[in-house]
Amino acid sequence: MRLLYYPGCTLYSKAKNLDLCGRRTAERLGVTLDELPSWNCCGAIFNTGSDDLAGQVGPVRVLAKASQLGDKLVTLCAACYNVLKRARARLNAPGNELERQRIMEFVDEKMERDVKVVHYLEVLKQDIGWEAIRSRVVKPLQGLNVASYYGCLMVRPREVLSFDDPENPMVMDELVATLGGEPVRFEFKTECCGGYLVVNRREVAQDCSMRVVDNARNWGAELIVTTCPLCQYNLEIAQKRGRAEAQNVPVLYFTQLLGLALGLPQEELGFEDNKLDPVGFLKEKGLL
Amino acid sequence: MKRVGVFICHCGINIAGVVKVPELKERVKNIDGVVSCVDYVYCCSDPGQKLIQDTIKAEQLEGVVVACCSPSLHEATFRKACEEAGLNRYLCEIANIREQCSWVTADRDAATSKAEGIIATIVEKVRHNQPLERVRVPMVKRCLVVGAGIAGIQAALDVANAGYEVVLVEKEPSIGGHMAQLSETFPTLDCSQCILTPRTVEAGRHPKIKLLTYSEVVDITGFVGNFRVKIRQKPRYVDIEKCTGCGICLEKCPVRVDAVFDRNLTRRRAIYRLFPQAVPNKVVIDADSCRQLQGKKCGVCAKVCPADAIRYDDQERFIEEEVGAIVLATGYELFDLSRLGYYGGGAVPDVIDGLAFERILSASGPFGGEVRRPSDGKVPKRVVFVQCAGSRDSTQGVPYCSKICCMYTAKHALLYKHRVHDGEAIVCYIDVRTPGKGFEEFYRRATDEGVKYLRGKVSKIFRQGDKVVVWAADTLAGKKIEIEADMVVLATAVVPNPAGVALARKLKVALDSNGFQTEAHPKLKPVETLTAGFFLAGCGQGPKDIPETVAQASAAAAKVLSMFGTTELFHEPVVAEVDEEVCVGCGNCQRTCAYEAVKVDPQRGKAVVQTAMCEGCGACAVSCPSGAINLKNWTKEALGRMVDVWR
Repeated sequence: MRLLYYPGCTLYSKAKNLDLCGRRTAERLGVTLDELPSWNCCGAIFNTGSDDLAGQVGPVRVLAKASQLGDKLVTLCAACYNVLKRARARLNAPGNELERQRIMEFVDEKMERDVKVVHYLEVLKQDIGWEAIRSRVVKPLQGLNVASYYGCLMVRPREVLSFDDPENPMVMDELVATLGGEPVRFEFKTECCGGYLVVNRREVAQDCSMRVVDNARNWGAELIVTTCPLCQYNLEIAQKRGRAEAQNVPVLYFTQLLGLALGLPQEELGFEDNKLDPVGFLKEKGLL
Repeated sequence: MKRVGVFICHCGINIAGVVKVPELKERVKNIDGVVSCVDYVYCCSDPGQKLIQDTIKAEQLEGVVVACCSPSLHEATFRKACEEAGLNRYLCEIANIREQCSWVTADRDAATSKAEGIIATIVEKVRHNQPLERVRVPMVKRCLVVGAGIAGIQAALDVANAGYEVVLVEKEPSIGGHMAQLSETFPTLDCSQCILTPRTVEAGRHPKIKLLTYSEVVDITGFVGNFRVKIRQKPRYVDIEKCTGCGICLEKCPVRVDAVFDRNLTRRRAIYRLFPQAVPNKVVIDADSCRQLQGKKCGVCAKVCPADAIRYDDQERFIEEEVGAIVLATGYELFDLSRLGYYGGGAVPDVIDGLAFERILSASGPFGGEVRRPSDGKVPKRVVFVQCAGSRDSTQGVPYCSKICCMYTAKHALLYKHRVHDGEAIVCYIDVRTPGKGFEEFYRRATDEGVKYLRGKVSKIFRQGDKVVVWAADTLAGKKIEIEADMVVLATAVVPNPAGVALARKLKVALDSNGFQTEAHPKLKPVETLTAGFFLAGCGQGPKDIPETVAQASAAAAKVLSMFGTTELFHEPVVAEVDEEVCVGCGNCQRTCAYEAVKVDPQRGKAVVQTAMCEGCGACAVSCPSGAINLKNWTKEALGRMVDVWR
């Protein structure tokens, strides 16, 4: 299977490990991710201003580029996924023809066809399937209690994102179970990590992130997985600032966990980019 | 050519405010076959009807078209008027120019033309109509009541006390329904069991009531007055004639499982009865958990039973009953707690639903009536009651108001305060709705006695240590609040009992989008259904409290009795008719018919319509590949002509 892939800026900088493990695990599962040529930034935050159409040009251009090569675009970053999916929904909304026309005036590429935006998790669940993944697991995550933290971008607004239950998403929990781990039920799986407040109101983000981590810990989580570079950063940095190392819960990208179970060599798991080094813990668990 | 008269009703300004009646009248006069066209301000009034009757006589009319509102409202009125004037009632038809024209068409000229078209088609229909006679059908004066909660019991008692036999079917091992689970009832706080048990005992002993517990209606065939009901009696593994209800087996059975009656807060044995005052007071073995029935060694209950009532080889039985009328009293369930994951439903043991709290308050409940919480049995010092948990939430729950929660939450909070004097009861609400006799006063009493009401929707509930944390808003103070509670009671939405929904689907009783049974008219036929012979009582039709349920059950019984009070039933003669010369016996009609009214006679290879079962829907006529079936007064020829005359 070959799929068109949009990495996005963060996956070339802060979240290299999300990207690396995404590509490597896809290979192991028989999927080739073809990177969209000459892509641009998705905009990072979906612009909700009704009169600021310039904010739509970025994501729409990405979609237009993709439309010349296929009808499906895979993302790994929760923010890109959210922005592209919402931009597409706004573009396709009935009665929005005039706006569509005005946005397209700023985009050189022609929109050849409608492009479906999917997340790598959707590919795993729907295109590859849990059974097929289970059969490729070489290192089952036996006895590993993993909390899947979704944050807000993967599931909201529900009308547009709509690929999992917005209040109680389960797709990553299913993945954890498929890999042989123990999904941990916790109540803060879609609560805010603090988002960009970490830039100008650090104490608020600190508070939000620690609440998420503590709730997961209280329910027995030894490890947290995320899809979002900002969540990952916030949960790690808050713990690093917040308390003694011994109590820290490592925060991995779901692709890292998948890579671990599929038996990727350690140098392809990108742990050196994690701020809370998970290597010691994973060795303790007999997984490295 | 048939002489047809058209009567255009103004319906005040409903029709005449949009349709240009004088112009329409002139245009209608030019329609083929129309010999007279009269307009009147309210045709349904006495003078209006008299006008029609006088015109029939004066103009020697052979057909009448009344252009007015929907036939579901006044067809019967005008047909009766025509009948009194000597015209066969089936030669009178309604042209609906209100709902289908004036109410939905803004442009006056367009509406006038549309009205003309509608009238022209109906005139054409009347010209093809034949005089018909209503079909007489015999009637079995016995009644089936499905469900023996308070609604079913009340309906059964009312019918039985009037002297007619009732078959009362209950899927649980004993009767009483959810009311048997309640502690005290609002707004008077009388004990639910105390007011219920006289009714259950009376129903259990009534000579005219045949009580079938642990049984389910599997199928109903036939038609109003003549239903055949197939009932499956589940194996009880106990001889109900021999069991004395002594209860020795209940002490000796070694198996313990969660007691659904106590909302899984207690454990019961594999052999059990729902509660001590059960009617009938007979035990039942739960085959899924019984060691003996699961093929393991046990047999303890058989050994200890002094009455020799245990039957491990018991089989399911099928019973057939003939009845003339059916009351559906299939009741409700509460919205599944685990679907309220954001409220910790199903995951946090101290987040419970209203019925679980009823069991906790009940003297026969898990803690003997003391308020304790499920997780560790401690007395909760702060309890948060959350209203509209799933109700009034069209995105994640149900769109409607469950109606009873405001009152039972006030009751819960008050009873909690009565039992735990130093406890704090906090109610989070969106609105408090108390439309009922004594309801507002009761709510006031709760606030006067110290129950705190916070206006705002709860966003999230989760466990923190041994506390349950509630995130909510206080919209009156404009603040976000966080409450550390010991226990949370969710007033979960009332939803129709799934077994009732499945049965109604099977019986083709109409359901609304939420699965509640639909009454024939929301105001004027609140207990009838669109399927003749089926009546509704209780929460299967919509959420309601006990007094309302009892009133509706009595109303359903009254409808059954007024049917039984007549000597015979009539069936509409607008039914399917088979031209045996043309019919090839392919059986398409038989497969199409939703009422099982058409069958191919295997001997002759011809389709035969059972007139009394035919509802006149016309599906068979459409499906017949050889065109052998016509619906009386809706023949293919007439329909073709009706389309042709539309101008």
